[in-house]
Amino acid sequence: MAKPAAIRKPKKKVNPLDKEGITYIDYKDTALLRKFISDRGKIRARRVTGVTSQQQRQIARAVKNAREMALLPYTTTAR
Amino acid sequence: MRHYEVMVILDPSLEERTVGPSLDTYLNVIRNAGGSVEKLDVWGRRRLAYEINKKPEGIYAVIDLQATTEAVAELDRQLRLNESILRTKVVRPEVH
Repeated sequence: MAKPAAIRKPKKKVNPLDKEGITYIDYKDTALLRKFISDRGKIRARRVTGVTSQQQRQIARAVKNAREMALLPYTTTAR
Repeated sequence: MRHYEVMVILDPSLEERTVGPSLDTYLNVIRNAGGSVEKLDVWGRRRLAYEINKKPEGIYAVIDLQATTEAVAELDRQLRLNESILRTKVVRPEVH
């Protein structure tokens, strides 16, 4: 009776960085980095952000640098 | 000679006007070692994402400079000795 789940056709994501033409991810640019962290301050996964793996690494490094300088939170319990 | 970017967080109880000149005296280390300071940008008072040394705010400053590895390491060491400097970070924008 149970039908096999229909094969999902994932929607192709647009790469948000290529769209904006950003080549260098600056840890000081918190407005940009906030797009890549969740409400709780966690770094969003690549399958969510839709960037390339190289870019994801650059984002992760930038976020971690920004956290060290208190530009971004390590955690947020509120919200 | 390499391009470096140094970010400094200073104690918020300092007078904002005095930050630029006092950081500039530290930069003589770079100039004496043959480097050059390209830009000293004081962002001003800014809320910290979390408290550092029980302080909710800090005065941010970003310095762009060309210098040797040793000169930057010495600058960073001297900055860290100052108690009114909460945190420093040295980044080479070309590799990061």
